[in-house]
This record gives sequence, structure tokens and C-alpha cells, in this order.
Amino acid sequence: MESSNAPTIYSITESEIDLNELLAKITLASTGAAAIFTGMVRGVTNRGGAHETEFLEYESYIPMAEAKMKQVADEIREKWPVVEGIAIVQRIGKLYPKTPTVLIACTAAHRDTGVFDAARYGIDRLKEIVPVWKKEVGPNGEEWVEGDYIPKPGE
Amino acid sequence: MNHIKLLFFATIRDRAGTKSLEMDIPANMTIQGLKDRLSTDYPNLKDSMKSVLITINREYAFDEAVVPANAEIGMFPPVSGG
Repeated sequence: MESSNAPTIYSITESEIDLNELLAKITLASTGAAAIFTGMVRGVTNRGGAHETEFLEYESYIPMAEAKMKQVADEIREKWPVVEGIAIVQRIGKLYPKTPTVLIACTAAHRDTGVFDAARYGIDRLKEIVPVWKKEVGPNGEEWVEGDYIPKPGE
Repeated sequence: MNHIKLLFFATIRDRAGTKSLEMDIPANMTIQGLKDRLSTDYPNLKDSMKSVLITINREYAFDEAVVPANAEIGMFPPVSGG
């Protein structure tokens, strides 16, 4: 059941992502489950073009990115009304391997409510419409990573 | 004429050599018209204009859209966050 005080957190930050703090903010008396996805910088890539990464440099169109994160949260609530708290945080700046870069967490009363799917949708959607980019720097130079999703009208 | 502000990100900013530009455009100019003008005025951006994503006032916009006065126009490649 969605309540008017359901916490929604969305932000672009240059600070370390504090999982415990975020989880506490989206935990309510009524929530017994949280699905959390976090992505971190991968130093060694084996899938596709195998390569090593020294660091990633992230940038964002911050006011639009935060508005689109809010939109992703609204879409999650529309598709999974059982979701209670939502946190969507993207860290930007120069980030080294093993460093968490993004976090999506959704809370609900129980684990079998679709809360896993909701978090999965959140990270997939962030990678489609939230204006953030990363430049990959490795032993062979630097290269912007480009996505492949073209937003449609109304997105 | 309408005064507008352009914001460039990632590869588009690298090719433009600047983060932002301000310019005056005709009141009925569309996104397509703006792309054509940038391709002419800034040859480095010509190739980028084929695949660039465009926003008007922080919402995705498409070629037929007319650019409003005082618009904040974002130009960038497909996003790669996460």
C-alpha cells in the first residue's frame, strides 16, 4: 500500500554512497524487505572486448538527471504499487575499481511482492534515460562509453 | 529572435570545445533547424548532429519541435550511467 509519506530519495552526488544510511531512510515500520542493486567500477573486463580499467570519470547534466531519477521512481511506483521506499543515487567524478558508483534500492512489506523486479527496472531505466556519462581510462588511453538507447517522446 | 542557451556534455562537449553557448535564433526554428545551423557554424559538430540526443528545458525533444524563447537546450550522446 502506497502511503503519502513513502520516502523517495534521488540524487547525483560526488560523495561516497552510504548504503546503510540510505537503507535506513527507506525502511518503514511496514517494510520487511529491501531489494538493493549496486554497481561498482570493474577493473578487469572479460566479457566482450577484454580490457582493464584504471578509473572511470563520470559526469552528469545534474538538474535533468535528478528530475529523470524522480521520473524513474514514479514509474516504479506505478508498476509496483507495493513498493514503499525508493532510493536512487548515482555518484559522479573520478572513480576507481571496486568503488560503488550507483545504488537502487526498493523496500516493500515482503520479498515476494515484486520488489526484486522493481529494483531491476530502476537500474535498467536509469541506464536508458538519466543523463550521466562515463569516460573510461585504461592502459591504452581514454574513451567515452556511449549507451545505445534513444529516448522516445514523453520519456 | 529568441535567445537560447546550449549545454554540451561528454563527446559533444569535447568536440564543441566548450561546455555552453548562448545564441539568438529565429522564433520559429525547430530542433532540426538548430542542428543544421550548428553543423554550419561549428564544423566539428557536424558529424555529432546525426546521432545527438537533444533536450528542451530538461525534457527529451525531437527534430520537429520548435525551440521556445529562453530555452535551455541540452546536447549529448546516448547516456551511459550506472
